[in-house]
Amino acid sequence: MVGNDYDVVVVGAGGDGPVAAWKLAEAGLSVLVLEAGPFYGNEQWPAPSERPGGEASSSVADLSGELLDEQFTTREFEMVNKLLFGPADHERGFWFRKFPGDGAILQCAGVGGTTLHYTGCHPRAYPASMDEQGHWPIAYAELLPYYREIEEMCEVTPAPVTAKEELFFRGAAAAGWPLLHDLNVTTSGYRPQPNAIRRPDPKLHVDAGYDGPVTYPEVRGDTLSLGNIAGNPHPRGAPYEEKAKRSSNVSFVPAALETGNVTIRPNAFVTDVRTETALGDAPTATGVDFRDTWSGRTERVDAEVVVLAAGAIETPRLWKNADLPDNEWVGRGLTIHFGDNVMGLWREADLDERLGKGTIDQHEGQDIAARFDYPGLGMLQTVGTTPGVGAILGFGASASGFTFQNDPADAPWDTMGRLAGPELKRLLADYRRMLQMLVVSDDRPHRRNGVTVTPGLADEHGPIPVVNYEPSEGDRKRRDELATIAAEILREAGAAHVHRSDSPPTALHVHSTMRMGYVLDEACEAYDVDRLFVADHSALSNGVGGANPTNTGQALAARTAERILDRHF
Amino acid sequence: MYDERVRRIRRWIDAVLRGSASALELLADLVSGSEDVELHTVVTFRAVVDAVVPETPELDPELGPDHVPGGLGVDLEEFVVTYVDDGFQLGLPYLGPRGNVPLADPIAQLLDVAALALLDRGGNTGELDDDRPVSLLDPGEASPREVRAAAGAFSKLSRRDRLRAVGLLDELELEISQFDGELFEFDGGLVGQLVVGFTEMIYYSEWQGYDEFTQPPSERVHPNDPAAVQSWRQTGYPGFSPGYAALRGYLGSDDGPLGDGDAWTTVDEESSVRILREPGSFRENDYDTSDYAEPFPE
Repeated sequence: MVGNDYDVVVVGAGGDGPVAAWKLAEAGLSVLVLEAGPFYGNEQWPAPSERPGGEASSSVADLSGELLDEQFTTREFEMVNKLLFGPADHERGFWFRKFPGDGAILQCAGVGGTTLHYTGCHPRAYPASMDEQGHWPIAYAELLPYYREIEEMCEVTPAPVTAKEELFFRGAAAAGWPLLHDLNVTTSGYRPQPNAIRRPDPKLHVDAGYDGPVTYPEVRGDTLSLGNIAGNPHPRGAPYEEKAKRSSNVSFVPAALETGNVTIRPNAFVTDVRTETALGDAPTATGVDFRDTWSGRTERVDAEVVVLAAGAIETPRLWKNADLPDNEWVGRGLTIHFGDNVMGLWREADLDERLGKGTIDQHEGQDIAARFDYPGLGMLQTVGTTPGVGAILGFGASASGFTFQNDPADAPWDTMGRLAGPELKRLLADYRRMLQMLVVSDDRPHRRNGVTVTPGLADEHGPIPVVNYEPSEGDRKRRDELATIAAEILREAGAAHVHRSDSPPTALHVHSTMRMGYVLDEACEAYDVDRLFVADHSALSNGVGGANPTNTGQALAARTAERILDRHF
Repeated sequence: MYDERVRRIRRWIDAVLRGSASALELLADLVSGSEDVELHTVVTFRAVVDAVVPETPELDPELGPDHVPGGLGVDLEEFVVTYVDDGFQLGLPYLGPRGNVPLADPIAQLLDVAALALLDRGGNTGELDDDRPVSLLDPGEASPREVRAAAGAFSKLSRRDRLRAVGLLDELELEISQFDGELFEFDGGLVGQLVVGFTEMIYYSEWQGYDEFTQPPSERVHPNDPAAVQSWRQTGYPGFSPGYAALRGYLGSDDGPLGDGDAWTTVDEESSVRILREPGSFRENDYDTSDYAEPFPE
């Protein structure tokens, strides 16, 4: 039974909320975490998409690897639908958000949040994005101890090499880029991805001749099969906490529950932040109202401190719907790492020569295990995808029409645009000889970009978020430059055909809508509401240079938890 | 002429979204319709699938007979309609099943509007053909007369012109977003995403292998076998696997901490970079950003 009074209530059990909950509970505070989506792999909810199940979970003994195996099938279409932002009930569609432009917002609901389908990539921010760009009120050095703590909890190590990474590294080296060895990246080059995925079992080496079962306990750690975007339950058969990918539900949630001071209530959508205002004073947060997504009942809980960790779209939405004091930056300054996809296709003979086999087999290995960094521009990553997700990311969307409408004669790519018809089928027939590179640019915060709400368009949780995003000229140039570098690397790696999607703005990484230094002070407490903190990616002051944001969001959440203890307990 | 068309389309789109936005009568009308999908919607979504993942006899000599069948051969359009109707909800339980907003009918209408706009602008390369929609249905499914009466302009366009019409919606959305006042214009780009992006994702995913995808997740069965999924046979995707013995090693070099031990292969003859058997780690380095130069200043 969920009580109605806690030291701290955390809104959202995504990538960052559980980090704050864990730190606060370790210090002895009582913490309630409210999560809008379901709790997968928990015995309180044996069929979380079909029935309401239990009310809350407070014990690590509730976690079940067996249930996670059953619920995370790795079937791509099923899992994308299961995990994307929407209610637990499988008969109901996604929660609607409006995103002008042809793009989409890819966020998950559920304990673990978007780390349920992130690919484990855990690099640090580029130091220059904090120390040279002028958006942040704190120095990069301040985050270093927290990065170390997070990386240890998430078991971050250099990712293993399979065929697709080897091909990329060959291309990057041949294009003249250096190998980077450092965690704090200040120059451009390539390196294995710092991944929060346990190392693969050495018996999975291609030379080891292993042909036993690729399941636990015969195999421990990563099993080198795509599955991260689909939740990744590998190795199958392993206990919950032995799953290879250290998404926040596997890394921080067990640690938080282990303290005995944390209760997690899924299927609980927070709709209001309660405040009290003494005469002539700023409002003080005193608790929240939330709605049970199965029963529709609204409940209330009081807390000494409220921590918003609902993500860079829902946190500002909640703020606005709760009618908290506005300032010109609440919801503004959205960055999404304005991205693109550049694909290489190879001839069998060319692959034979480079890899010793005629296929790349992108479905083998970790989804994203190799990267290229360029502080100031952003990053490139190799991406292995299953064919359906690959088709929609790489071919199904473009800001420049269909390939037959474009003539890229002088461009570094052979085709550009959306693919359909015989061209699509011909290209996807080469699925096993294809390597996709994700272009992730260091887009900068602009006030015009962000989240608003409008009373006219409401769902059961209030006015829905309306997201605006229009990249600047500089953002476009950075992305173009990275796409050009990607094409060069693919060519150097021997690709016979290079295709660029020219993707519409798609929000894979969403941040900086409640920016530290603009909406939040240096402890991430709101300037305008006392005892109200933000511990999610919305608190980031910019897009951390284009590096994957999870590590930085978690490090900042850990730091924020310490500041909460210093200030209020 | 074109501007007037754009304005008309915009008004139409506004109406659609205002309907779903504020639960006005329009949406109630949509929801109160029968369970059966209208013939117009069926024909239009077949025309979509036929353009996006067509039957391709021309690929037979090049790639083999496995690459001939397209989406219509596996009834993809039926599921796309179901998916589009069930996929989005505004949390209004009195509106249709579970508050989901059925979007297939309005999207089919919008595709016709786009087709007319394409014709109006002279952007089509082929002519409208009344027999195209008829050929999209199996013999005996509906009478040719009924089909001709129900079919809109979109399904009468050539495959490529249908794609051009979808492309026009992308463009239209950009023009629309410059207007202010009406906040909830439907962006045409979403239509493109749904009819092209989602059609491609569903087709190339495991979808075809389910007996019935709309069953509760715990009751869904999937054989995980390319024999049951046409698109897997066309891409060579072998199905989902618990793992692969695919480890080649770890990246490292002579002068760094990233790897150690025996070299398995050299990445580039010119450099000291190797793929090594044993893993290393990143260096916790001091950093210095004083040389940082902004490549593209804002």
